[in-house]
Amino acid sequence: MRTGIFICHCGHNIKHTVDVKKVSRFFKDFPTVVVSEDYPFVCSEPGQDMIEEAIKKHGLDRVLIASCTPSLHGELFKDLLKKSNLNPFLLRRVGIREHCSWVGDDPGPNTEKAIKLIKAGLYASAHYVPLEEKKVDVVKSALIIGGGVSGLSAALFLSRMGMKVYLVEKADHLGGHVGALKNIWPAREDGKSAVIDPMVSELGIMENVEIFTSTTLSAFEGFFGNYQATLNTPGGVKTVVAGGVIVAVGFSPFDPRLKPELNYGRDDRIMTTLEFEERKEGLSKDPRVAILHCVGSRDEQVNKPYCSRVCCINALRAANAIKVRHPDAYVESFYMDMRAHPKGGEEFFEETQELGVLFTRSNIGEIIPSSGGLLLRGEDTLLGETFEREFDYAVLSTGMSSPEDSKLISSLLKVTLDKDKFFLEAHIKLRPFDTAVKGIFIAGTCSGPKDMEESINHGRASALKLFGFLNLGYAFVDPFISWVDPKRCSGCRMCEQACVAKAIKYDEQKRIAHVEEAACMGCGLCNATCPSSSISLKGHMDSAIDDEIGAMIEGQSLVASL
Amino acid sequence: MTEEKEKNPEIVGFACSFCTFKASEMAGSLRMKYPDGIKLIQVPCSSRVDPAFVIKAILDGADGAFVAGCHPGDCHFIKGNYFTRRKIAALKEMFDAFSMKDKLRLFWVSAAEARRFVEKVTAMYGDIKEKKNAG
Repeated sequence: MRTGIFICHCGHNIKHTVDVKKVSRFFKDFPTVVVSEDYPFVCSEPGQDMIEEAIKKHGLDRVLIASCTPSLHGELFKDLLKKSNLNPFLLRRVGIREHCSWVGDDPGPNTEKAIKLIKAGLYASAHYVPLEEKKVDVVKSALIIGGGVSGLSAALFLSRMGMKVYLVEKADHLGGHVGALKNIWPAREDGKSAVIDPMVSELGIMENVEIFTSTTLSAFEGFFGNYQATLNTPGGVKTVVAGGVIVAVGFSPFDPRLKPELNYGRDDRIMTTLEFEERKEGLSKDPRVAILHCVGSRDEQVNKPYCSRVCCINALRAANAIKVRHPDAYVESFYMDMRAHPKGGEEFFEETQELGVLFTRSNIGEIIPSSGGLLLRGEDTLLGETFEREFDYAVLSTGMSSPEDSKLISSLLKVTLDKDKFFLEAHIKLRPFDTAVKGIFIAGTCSGPKDMEESINHGRASALKLFGFLNLGYAFVDPFISWVDPKRCSGCRMCEQACVAKAIKYDEQKRIAHVEEAACMGCGLCNATCPSSSISLKGHMDSAIDDEIGAMIEGQSLVASL
Repeated sequence: MTEEKEKNPEIVGFACSFCTFKASEMAGSLRMKYPDGIKLIQVPCSSRVDPAFVIKAILDGADGAFVAGCHPGDCHFIKGNYFTRRKIAALKEMFDAFSMKDKLRLFWVSAAEARRFVEKVTAMYGDIKEKKNAG
């Protein structure tokens, strides 16, 4: 065995708390290690060239790269091995950045931990065998859940590229929240005619789009490239086969009733910005209007610590609209911080100030309705004083909450939610459209608050990524599937009962179990269940994990004596 | 007890790729700190953890071992973690018979719960360290 170990400094990220020189020196003495080098940036082009050269020069048959976490740059290094005519499954990544240098401050113990982690990787990789990536056919069709603005833009993109699209919407019409907006900023047009109708009418003439309204997803199974979704349509249950999925279920507006001190719902002079849009004609002459920002955003009390991004601009729009209609109205806006972030937002904020809207940085404690008006009690956070003021109307700029059915959809699709019950991206910066499940993408506000433009972009980007995955018509999936050793199998059928994917079948004649490769999900449950250790999960074999455990524990004194 | 003589435990954790391992990666990126005695082994699913692995870790000299996976109902492999729960419960009974129940823990940490991951492992480390240094 000829292993090459490459330790990344990651600039100062790893180097500042791990003595990389000592680590690389430590592994030079191992009998199976031919090369042990440290390098400032292994993922850079010269770093990759160095590995490639080392593989050629020393005829390496195992490559261990200790750097950032395995999920980062995984494909990059796999391709590097392929380029060097080495099986990509002989690569071992050890995460000494996220699991070592970033979680401890002390260089001594950190260096020791890095050595142990790399040793575990080294011992485990000794058990690695070349594996063949499985080629599977994928269906060139996409299921899009949610017919809001991001779902529609994803559907349009995919259908224009000639892919079959199933668009599922729970309501009886398409358009989502944008379809209900009367005056979208900054276009000052209504959302339905300006944004939704053109998209829907274009989708209507596309032959490869099937739209299901009043439809919900009731079951979901399969694997990448071949998902089967069961839809509850008004015409009965229907099953569609899709290669990939885009989740675009949007958001739920925050319900201000959850803040009872605001008395929303008990008095019709207290309304949300959406209700205000519908009612602004019917206000009394020159009204006194209070506008409250951050209702259900940046509020730990209702468990919404995040900023909802769009509500500042909504509040500004409402304030602006009143001043334009009633120049003598008294409009006061109560904000925490002004975050008018979209393009032109700051200018709009200034314009609104020039119209005479008063802005008070404050926290509003309660709204007390009486026959004469609404009494607002709050604290001016710049002056540090409490105040009471009377208004005729109060407009609440509500934030975005996670979609109502996020829990249901996430459990059907087996994708993860974040702590605020929004869908979690595979990597917040590098893979913001993917979920952890291959072929399932997220789009729009279901992954967190976004404005309309961002939702459209997000939908298109997810569609583009899915298109890239499915367009070839085939895909390679990780060959981490179980394998039964026929000589050791006693035919006890324990694995058959354990297998959730029903991938294990019992051969009555030979009295042994065997694995149907296409159905195996690679969880390793059968491997852990088998009493005679005859099933192995490729890539995660018992022997590899056993040695990994051993390496992490052994040689305490050996390291200390360095 | 002096600083030099303080014994630091070694804990081996088996972390599910889809949840807890992701959470640990996030904890790293967020520069959250946890003791260096905690070392993770990535497994595709918590159900991949054969009780034999836990026993091996303890026999090899680990002061503790934990198995961590997705919250029940959230398993990427549909119900792998229900099997884990039963298996580890049985293993705990066995550990209890040898008076080493404290050496094994099972907890659920989703991919988004970096803070929970750090809290759980730090608490376990603290408890084991206390026992180790007391005896």
